[in-house]
Amino acid sequence: MLKEKLNALLKIDRRWIFLGLAVVLFGAIMRPLGLINKKISRDTQNAYDFIDKLPAGSFVILSLDYDPATSPELNPQAMAVARHAFRNNLRVGVVTYAAGATGLIEQLFSVVPAEFKKEYGKDYAIFPYQPNAIATLTQMASDFYGIYDKDKDGKDARSLPVMRGVKNYKNVSLVVCIAGTIMVDWWVQYAGDKYGVPVIAGVTAITQPGYGPYLQKKQLKGLMGGMKGAAEYEHLIQTPGKGTSGIDALSLAHVMVAALIIISNIAIIILKYL
Amino acid sequence: MSDTFLIAGAWISAGLTIFLFSFLYKDNPFFKVAEHLYLGAGMGWWFQVYLYGVLKPKVWIPLMNHDWMVIIPALLGLSLITQFIPKISWVSRYGFTFLMGYGSGLAIPAYLATDFINQIGGTIQPFANLAGMPAFALFNAILVAVGVICVLIYFFFSVEHKGAIKKASNVGIYFLMIYFGAAFGNTVMARFSLLYGRFDTLYTFSASKYLYATQFILVGMIVYFIAHALMNRGKKETEPAH
Repeated sequence: MLKEKLNALLKIDRRWIFLGLAVVLFGAIMRPLGLINKKISRDTQNAYDFIDKLPAGSFVILSLDYDPATSPELNPQAMAVARHAFRNNLRVGVVTYAAGATGLIEQLFSVVPAEFKKEYGKDYAIFPYQPNAIATLTQMASDFYGIYDKDKDGKDARSLPVMRGVKNYKNVSLVVCIAGTIMVDWWVQYAGDKYGVPVIAGVTAITQPGYGPYLQKKQLKGLMGGMKGAAEYEHLIQTPGKGTSGIDALSLAHVMVAALIIISNIAIIILKYL
Repeated sequence: MSDTFLIAGAWISAGLTIFLFSFLYKDNPFFKVAEHLYLGAGMGWWFQVYLYGVLKPKVWIPLMNHDWMVIIPALLGLSLITQFIPKISWVSRYGFTFLMGYGSGLAIPAYLATDFINQIGGTIQPFANLAGMPAFALFNAILVAVGVICVLIYFFFSVEHKGAIKKASNVGIYFLMIYFGAAFGNTVMARFSLLYGRFDTLYTFSASKYLYATQFILVGMIVYFIAHALMNRGKKETEPAH
């Protein structure tokens, strides 16, 4: 009798698991539990500390290279970093090498700068999508305006007050690359290692373990990984956003998956010795 | 007017998301519509990206400003298209040769410096400070060095894996397994994050402001599946070939 029930449990229609997962995630969105994200990882803390120590007026390149497919993980990271930069009165130049990011960048910068009364052209500038990232990164080492002579609206980039004194990487205090692509590797290779520009990255949880060697060698000054990284950064800047609210749902979904793994393994062990 | 667009956008977004998710239950015409729409819209979108993001600013505008130098890279780029015409496909070799040479010249030195030499340095460097090293840092350095050597031995196929080599290679497998486990765990977390992103959007569009788009479409889908099941009761269902 028990054997049959356990066998039935192991052969459960996977659509019940999908439904269970949907209920758990939707439940957490509708009724947030407010699970506290107490532990801040060392790499997120390092990213926060590095940006926090930059003097006001420093020029930071924000390379936002993600599209709608990875935006649930990366958009909260970008929002948190942009908020931190504006709060500390840093100058921000936004670039992208992912064509799908342009709309998301517009959306993000229609919200965040207004919170800090920052003006376009004076405190930040957005540059158009460039198709060949490696050529662009190489060009920027000698002359930023050789590739970005105009901003996204076609205005002369040199005339923007935010770009005052910025000619090449020597005038860039930090690059923050938030990417669902290989862009982080390229920023490290073509700007970080070659010209000594500090690089901080925000990546998806899938690619996060692969950046361990860059962190160990300090080629990356800090790293945010997935939605957890976003939640940690939001906690550090004390501005909860989508990352923080998403952690509830993620935690519950993980509990559900862990419970399913444990239950099915116990069932297999019982069946083996029954 | 803008409210109408907002509501229409919400209904399209919620509808397409639910249509695509409906495949998890079973294949249906709504999923097919969303799938084909996605492919078509994607192609159209990339076409305009190349037209307005590459061709216009990088070729057309410079030509209009009498910058004739862009003709050379433009011709090299165009030469790639000739591979579709067998008689003159040899012309594409010029474009590919340029791409190979330029790409290799940029990538190889950068990759060697960042991902090879620097990483070897990163594995050895901690042992230069053995005297002042805390116990945990020493353990960490040894673990990294042993891991690197054992994994390299696992992938070293020029000698037969037996004796000490086999043991080291087996240790390498454990290091690889730990990495794969960590990567898989993170992959699960990433997929849940994406699912959360879509559910969060669906929840947003369930508000009265969007005329309850999510609820109406979800109920519509459920009604369709019930009606479909009732109409086909007793019939043997066959999965269409994909």
